[in-house]
Amino acid sequence: MILRIARKEFVDTWRDGRFRLGALVTALLLVTAGLLAWRQTERMAQEREAAAALERENWLEQGEKNSHSAGHYGVNVFKPLAPLALFDRGIEPFVGTTLFLEAHRQNQASFVPAQDATAMRRFGELTAAAGLQWLAPLLIVLLAFGSIAGERERGTLRQTLSLGVSPLQLVLGKTLGLGIALSVLLAPLGVAGLIGLSQAQVDPAFGLWTRAGALALAYGLYFALALVGGVAVSALAPNARSALIVLLAMWAAGCVVAPRLASDVAHSRLPLPALAEFEKALGEDLQNGLDGHDTRSKQMEEFTARTLKEYGKSRVEELPFNFYGLAMLESERIAGTVFDHHFGALWDRIEAQDRFVTSCGALAPLLALRSASMALSGTDFTHHRHFAVAAEQHRREFVRVLNEDLKNNAKPGDHAYVAGRALWEQLPQFQLQPLSASTALSVASSGLALLGAWLGVALAALLWAAGRLRSTLA
Amino acid sequence: MLEADKLTKRFQERLAVDALQLRVAPGEIYALLGPNGAGKTTTINMFLGFLAPDDGEARVCGVSVARDPVAARRLLAYIPEQVALYPRFSGIENLDYFSALGGKSHTRQELYELLERAGLQREAADRRVSGYSKGMRQKVGIALALATGAKALLLDEPTSGLDPAASHEFSRLLRRLASEGVAILMATHDLFRAREDASHVGILLGGKLVAQFTQRELEGSDLEALYLEKLRA
Repeated sequence: MILRIARKEFVDTWRDGRFRLGALVTALLLVTAGLLAWRQTERMAQEREAAAALERENWLEQGEKNSHSAGHYGVNVFKPLAPLALFDRGIEPFVGTTLFLEAHRQNQASFVPAQDATAMRRFGELTAAAGLQWLAPLLIVLLAFGSIAGERERGTLRQTLSLGVSPLQLVLGKTLGLGIALSVLLAPLGVAGLIGLSQAQVDPAFGLWTRAGALALAYGLYFALALVGGVAVSALAPNARSALIVLLAMWAAGCVVAPRLASDVAHSRLPLPALAEFEKALGEDLQNGLDGHDTRSKQMEEFTARTLKEYGKSRVEELPFNFYGLAMLESERIAGTVFDHHFGALWDRIEAQDRFVTSCGALAPLLALRSASMALSGTDFTHHRHFAVAAEQHRREFVRVLNEDLKNNAKPGDHAYVAGRALWEQLPQFQLQPLSASTALSVASSGLALLGAWLGVALAALLWAAGRLRSTLA
Repeated sequence: MLEADKLTKRFQERLAVDALQLRVAPGEIYALLGPNGAGKTTTINMFLGFLAPDDGEARVCGVSVARDPVAARRLLAYIPEQVALYPRFSGIENLDYFSALGGKSHTRQELYELLERAGLQREAADRRVSGYSKGMRQKVGIALALATGAKALLLDEPTSGLDPAASHEFSRLLRRLASEGVAILMATHDLFRAREDASHVGILLGGKLVAQFTQRELEGSDLEALYLEKLRA
């Protein structure tokens, strides 16, 4: 019975010219979004690849110089584009793509794509994820609002229930039928996605298929809850017009107002320091130490004394290595603890903001979906932090190798020492090991759980609405 | 068979149906007359299970509507004043769908034959019902009653708004269904059709059945005069 009702609902929906028009517009938007994202992603990947090659060439061709000076010469590393950024660009447009690695300093990523964007970008980027997050629910609203309320107005609801069909069978059949119609509409996107994924050259550690499967689950839950909720509202509303008004209000509140509100509240509850404040506090702690007592110069004086005592010397020039190189190593170690403290606190705060916004998914399912979608696509802050941490580790290793070279190969007190290409070649290019799919799933799990809970609530509402349906016919 | 046994329904303080005692045997057409608000549609809603009675019981072929509404509905067909159909479906597609919901499946040929028995030609059966007249919709409703093999038929103002020819054809179909053993309860304002078609006529006023006549009792009398007399009383 449910399948028979579903089949009729699908055919009826498909024959509706408004649905076909809506489907065409949605498909065009999604295809356009996909093509634009593909072109943009390919261009960005090429740009970053070319920039990385040029950077390497510059590094190798920098000529002979003191190895510590080479540390100040520095290198740029480029954030690799996540393979699923094509689908959901997440925070990518708003965080830097390039990190300058140099001695003594941990820099923040620069070259934010949104800074180069036109004013149109303020209206949001047209990506497949944005289309599915914003437009698909609107299409579902248009599909679902008249599903039961329209039948009540036409009188077919009385006709149907008078034949011995239970209200529950009816609402489930209708939901299933509309779900099939929606699936047919989204099928081309799914097929295009599968083809794209099967041809992508991706590091297996990224777990592309696991992430894609989880993304499909997240969006499936989102669409299902929107559909079930839409049919429930239609069953409860006195007429189709009221159902449409209620559903549009819910869409506007959940998809337009809630994301902005949640973001604003997150910023006010968990404020981030301004860049100048952050830099000032970082500079003070680099100078005075984290406890504010052991100044950098005092720590270095103590380190010098300890080293001289260890080797039984009275002057650094008497040490069997270049003390300046060792001092640089120690200075980097001390600075590293300060960087870890400040950047760790900043990033923890940003992740706390993200967790707060995700928890707001209990009020608006889009927020839960958005969080899961970005995490699974590899474009959320956790992935950005992974890049920043990996780049910082690379910086410390890069500076360590240069300082070790100075310590071991420069004669004590020799300020004229220079290293060359042989040393520069010892330093490997930055390679980012992708964050595993299991980590991404763990970050996305709260969003997925909230979406599951929302679907449960929507189903409960549908069951309740079905129970009330008969009494509304008299 | 349709039976109302002390069927009662209140809407807050207002008694909409007051201990209605009614029986429509197989092959009978019972016309339930009464002004607007007399309780005719409320009675039909209780037979359909859309309203729960406050007291008494409605039964269809012995099945209590309150106890087993789905089984009771399987024995019923219902034709409202405006037969509700899906406008983007043809007549035959509507019939196919609704008869499947009623638990009966038919071949396409059988569906055409059912529609033809109800007076709808094949050419019309294949057209979308959005272009159907009210009479054509009523024919699909009759075909549905035939398709589901209903033992009882509930009609709510079935001839309202039909032209005389369509009304005449509709009553011919009703009589044919009755001759096949279907019990028919018809809520109507149409005194002429009640006089012509019904084997029994009941007058409902303020939820109470104030008079009942058999066709024989009405022979040679003026139903309109009897009806108005009850209304004024």
